[in-house]
Amino acid sequence: MNVARNILSAAQCISLSNITLKTICCRTYAFKSDLKIKWVRPEKIPCYKPEKSGDLEGMVDIDKSKPQLMFRESQELATADETVKKLFSLEFAPRNKSTQVYFSEIAEKVKRHPYDVGSVELQIAKWTGIIRAFQELMERFPRDKRLKVKLKELIDKRKKHLKYLRRWDYKRFEWLIEVLNLVYKPPPNKFHWITRKESLQKLTDKYCEGIREERLEAYKKMLQTEQPAFLQEKIQSLQFIQKEQQNCGVEVTVTDEEIEEVKKQLKKIEERKSEVNDS
Amino acid sequence: MALQTTTKASLLLGRCVPCLKQNASKFKVKKLELDTNLLMYFGKEEYIYAFDPQKLCKTGDIVLIEELPKKMTRLITHAVKKVVYPLGDITDPMSGKKVVAGKYRDYIEAVNKVYGEKRGAFKYDEAPPRGWQEGKRDFTHRETYIKYHESGEEDPYAV
Repeated sequence: MNVARNILSAAQCISLSNITLKTICCRTYAFKSDLKIKWVRPEKIPCYKPEKSGDLEGMVDIDKSKPQLMFRESQELATADETVKKLFSLEFAPRNKSTQVYFSEIAEKVKRHPYDVGSVELQIAKWTGIIRAFQELMERFPRDKRLKVKLKELIDKRKKHLKYLRRWDYKRFEWLIEVLNLVYKPPPNKFHWITRKESLQKLTDKYCEGIREERLEAYKKMLQTEQPAFLQEKIQSLQFIQKEQQNCGVEVTVTDEEIEEVKKQLKKIEERKSEVNDS
Repeated sequence: MALQTTTKASLLLGRCVPCLKQNASKFKVKKLELDTNLLMYFGKEEYIYAFDPQKLCKTGDIVLIEELPKKMTRLITHAVKKVVYPLGDITDPMSGKKVVAGKYRDYIEAVNKVYGEKRGAFKYDEAPPRGWQEGKRDFTHRETYIKYHESGEEDPYAV
C-alpha cells in the first residue's frame, strides 16, 4: 500500500511540475506576439506646428526696401530724399510693420470687393496671416507660453470657422483652402490614447490582412497560369462528347457555339499573355 | 426597438457619412425613440448602407433613401433615391434660389456689384464642382484616425 501511495504522489508531483513549466512557456495573462512586428511610437507634434495646423507654407519674405504700409500713399515720401526713403522703409522699422504688410497682402487675395472688412474668408485669411507670423516667432522663442496659448486658440478658431464655411458654401471653402494653401482634415470620430497593446493589435491585424491578400493573389495567378491548359482540355472533351452523342444517336446537347466560345476565351487569354510578354 | 421602426419606414432621410465601400454609401439616420419611463422622446442614430453605384452622395449631403424590396447584401438594405440637400450648396425650396447661411446668393452678389467686384475674387458660377480638392487639401471624404505607428510612409488620414 505504502509503495503504491508513494508512486501516486510522485506522479502528482511530475504532473504539477509539467503544468508550471507550461504556464511559464506560454503565458496567458499578457499579450505577447511572436511576430516580428516592430512598433514605433509616433512622436508628438505640438499643436502649434504647421504640420498640425494645416499650413502648407509659412510666412513669405517681404521686400524690405519698400516703405511701411502707412506711408505707401504719401506724396511727400515719394518726392523725398533717398536717405529719408531708406529711413521710412521696412528695413529700419520694427517687425510688426513687416507683418502688417504681410497681413494686408494675404487679405487682399480673398477680399470680395475693395471695401470688404468682415466676410468669413477675409477673417480666415487674416487669422492665417497672424498664425504664420506667430509660428515663425514660436520657432525663435519656444518658451513663450503666452504666445503658444494665443497661437493655439487662433488655430482652433480658424479651424472652427473653416468648418462653418464648409457647411455654408462648399465651393467657396475649396477655393479658399486653395488660395491660402491650407489643409483641412476632419477630427477623428473617437479619442483614445495610443497604447502599445492596441497599436500592436492593429499592426498584427494589418500584417495578417497583408498575408491573406498576398496568398489570394498568388492563388489567383496560379489559376490563371492553369487556365489555357484547362480550356484546351475543355474543348477536347466537349468535342469528344459531341461526337459520342452523334455516334450513339442520342440528343446532342453540346452545340458548336459553345465550343467556339471556349475557343475565343482561349484566344483572348493567349493574346493577353503575349501582350504582357512584349511589354 | 428603433431598428424595427426605421426598417418599417420605406423612405428615410439620412446624412451621408464617409464610407470606403465602392458601390454603396453610408447614412446616419436619426429617429426619435420614446422612453416609457420618462415619457420623453430621445434622438437615436442609426447607420444604414444604401446602394449607390455612381457614388452620387458625398459626405454631409442630406439624401432620401428607399428600402429595397429584397436585401442586396447583409449590409446594403436601401437604395439612394435623391440627393435633397448637397452640403454647402443649399437651394431654398420655397423660392428656388441658392442660399448661403442666412442670405441669398443673388443678394450677396448684388452687394458685391455695388461695391465693385474684385478681379480674382471667388465666383460661384465659374467655380468647379465640389470635390476638386478631394485628397489634395480637403480630406473630409474619408474618416481620419489617430496616428498609432510611425511607419515612415505619410498617411494624410492619420492625425
